[in-house]
Amino acid sequence: MEHFRDSAAPLKIASNLVSPGHFLFHSKKPSGPPASKVPQKMDKSQQPSSFQQLEKLGEGTYATVFKGRNRQTGEMVALKEIHLDSEEGTPSTAIREISLMKELKHESIVSLYDVIHTENKLMLVFEFMDRDLKRYMDTRGDRGQLDPATVKSFMHQLLKGIAFCHDNRVLHRDLKPQNLLINKKGQLKLGDFGLARAFGIPVNTFSNEVVTLWYRAPDVLLGSRTYNTSIDIWSAGCIMAEMYTGRPLFPGTTNEDQLIKIFRLMGTPSERTWPGISQLPEYKSDFQIYATQDLSLIVPQMDAIGMDLLNRMLQLRPEMRISANEALQHPWFHDLPQIQAKLQQQHQQQQMAGYGGMIPPQPAY
Amino acid sequence: MDYHRNYRPCPTFFVEEDYGMESRIRQERQAKQEHDKQMARERQYVMADELSNLTSEQLRDDVLSHMLEMDNQTLPDVESIDIQTEIQWFMRPYLLDFLIEAHTAFQLLPSTLFLAINLLDRYCSKRVVYKRHYQLVGCAALLIAAKYNDKKDRVPTIKELKSMCCSLYDDDMFTQMEWHVLQTLGWSIGHPTVDAFLQHAVLDDAYDPEVEHMALYILEIALFHRDFVAKLSSELARAALALSRCILNRPQPRHTHWSSQYDSMTLVALSQQLHQPSTVVARKYASAHYSRVSKVMEHFLNRQASLATYARCTPPVETPIESKPYNGEIGLATPQKSQQLTAIPHGYLTPPITPDNEALVHAHAQMANHDMTRGIPTVHHGCSPSPAPSAEMQYMNSEAYQQQQEAMYMAQQAALQQFPMAPTHMGMGQTYQGGM
Repeated sequence: MEHFRDSAAPLKIASNLVSPGHFLFHSKKPSGPPASKVPQKMDKSQQPSSFQQLEKLGEGTYATVFKGRNRQTGEMVALKEIHLDSEEGTPSTAIREISLMKELKHESIVSLYDVIHTENKLMLVFEFMDRDLKRYMDTRGDRGQLDPATVKSFMHQLLKGIAFCHDNRVLHRDLKPQNLLINKKGQLKLGDFGLARAFGIPVNTFSNEVVTLWYRAPDVLLGSRTYNTSIDIWSAGCIMAEMYTGRPLFPGTTNEDQLIKIFRLMGTPSERTWPGISQLPEYKSDFQIYATQDLSLIVPQMDAIGMDLLNRMLQLRPEMRISANEALQHPWFHDLPQIQAKLQQQHQQQQMAGYGGMIPPQPAY
Repeated sequence: MDYHRNYRPCPTFFVEEDYGMESRIRQERQAKQEHDKQMARERQYVMADELSNLTSEQLRDDVLSHMLEMDNQTLPDVESIDIQTEIQWFMRPYLLDFLIEAHTAFQLLPSTLFLAINLLDRYCSKRVVYKRHYQLVGCAALLIAAKYNDKKDRVPTIKELKSMCCSLYDDDMFTQMEWHVLQTLGWSIGHPTVDAFLQHAVLDDAYDPEVEHMALYILEIALFHRDFVAKLSSELARAALALSRCILNRPQPRHTHWSSQYDSMTLVALSQQLHQPSTVVARKYASAHYSRVSKVMEHFLNRQASLATYARCTPPVETPIESKPYNGEIGLATPQKSQQLTAIPHGYLTPPITPDNEALVHAHAQMANHDMTRGIPTVHHGCSPSPAPSAEMQYMNSEAYQQQQEAMYMAQQAALQQFPMAPTHMGMGQTYQGGM
């Protein structure tokens, strides 16, 4: 603080403009810096105490999510608590998630309102969503199956969210029902950008330790490190089928088992159907040979046009997979306005009937 | 198969004749495996390229417009840095040298360096930074950039950073500063770096590593100059690419695409800074990995200089660089090192950090003795990877130095002596070049 003498000068030096020299200065004492005990805040003057923490909504890989209520406005929020590793500081997942979500403002992506920092944890304040798609299917659907109109509406929103990410050079890399959030208005939004990252043009190489196994694209399973936006499309295809059937499409147990499950349905690829496949690190020449199955046997509820879209998303070769923007133009979505109107109507009726017991009283995340 | 069992080479007594056959077979087999592996790798690269091109085709325009928008949102503000009370512009090159060496030591991605320096400058545009924390801010910026960009196992640990700073800062100071930088920048880390724009700009051209490395070299030199701190990355990247093509005598693409539109003023300004690159950067780009572009550049500049002296019987060096008309031939427009500038030694005047540190006091004593073989005082103990930059210390004879008693104010005073006026745009840039 003794160096503060010139501070009246042209720099509009308010105390909050100054780097945290004062507590850094003291921090040599083992007792720890006093200033760091004061919660730091972001844009608004919000502190953890401005939110009433309610029940736990879920536990992620590096965070716990609680329901919260803004004490001033009464507004519901989701509070994602990230424990800070005192050794290595802010986790890279948090840095990526927060900075990417601040860039991605879109109706199909969960809004990040605020970031609050306390002594040993980081709290992200998100827009409140009632539950994730997994739980929505469990509680709402018929044995997990959703009606075709809802599937179409959700798929459209999912693809809009993915397209927006890709247009803004972000790969989500962890799309699965647990990371898609649904609210009472029937909106679906992408959440959990903990594995997301920005990509360059040309697309760089990445780790292949991404995406929950069941939704992981075959090229990534085969060890390709140069995947691109198409990995999110594969996940979206798996999710589309799952919404119809109520069951995961490829519930593999290991990397190899996952590949076998995919090949059993989509046919085992060869150099002929996928030139260059034998060069991929995890490729084995003795993969069991399966013929391509008709997807409509697995997903009988789906109409022919929807099946065409699903087939385009679930192409084994990444370069053959449809892009999110193209998928949004697919004829399957041509009757979307009518479907949405119908859903709206249903929704209003349900609201009037107090949800008719369809939705359990306590929402889940 | 029996053959193999019977003739398994004995590890303790290996006689070549006995196993000559097998070892040859083994060698051949190994060679073949190597070859196959190499082929597989090449094919994978081709596949990867195809896949990447496909994505590029579909998304490049959207991605570019997003990058341009982010570029605008993440510019540092030089005027705010100008009015910092403790840290001064001439200290920045030391810090950059340190960061570049750390970046190289940790083998981080190229964009991580540019991102880290963007974060550093943006932080310094918003907060008053004490001299003794300048290096800490730099480390925090590098840490954040690596966490954002690089693979987990490449991200430096705080222990490593701490030892690079000779334990000047405690562990928790790094985490606190990291947090403070993140908070100050509102967590918007996604600055599109110059190298990302560069990749974008060469998308349509055949791969020419020398041009790309030269452009990167120019861009890294540009990092050191105030004039370019608040320049848009997209503009810098395109101008550096065009300048790189000039130097390497490559044709400029004629098409009217985004990448070929560069600002000639920026290009000229860049060309004026090539003469005295930081030794750290020049050494980095002298490696084969970077096509030895710093050597290529040196040759180019020497040739330019001799051409210029030959063409006019009198050396043109006295004419101010700026007044030289830009005649479209960039090669000739490259300014010659002026006498005036070379007269000022590009001495490392004083460290950017920790004036009240013991090491510095010690170094200061050394300076007074004109014994400056060790370079940056903070690396005096030899535990930093940064070798001492070659400092020409004649400047230390100057009155400014001898008059100084306190190490604390030495740096500021030297700066004041050297930059007596309020830092106007041109003036600052020039003297700064000299100060390099």
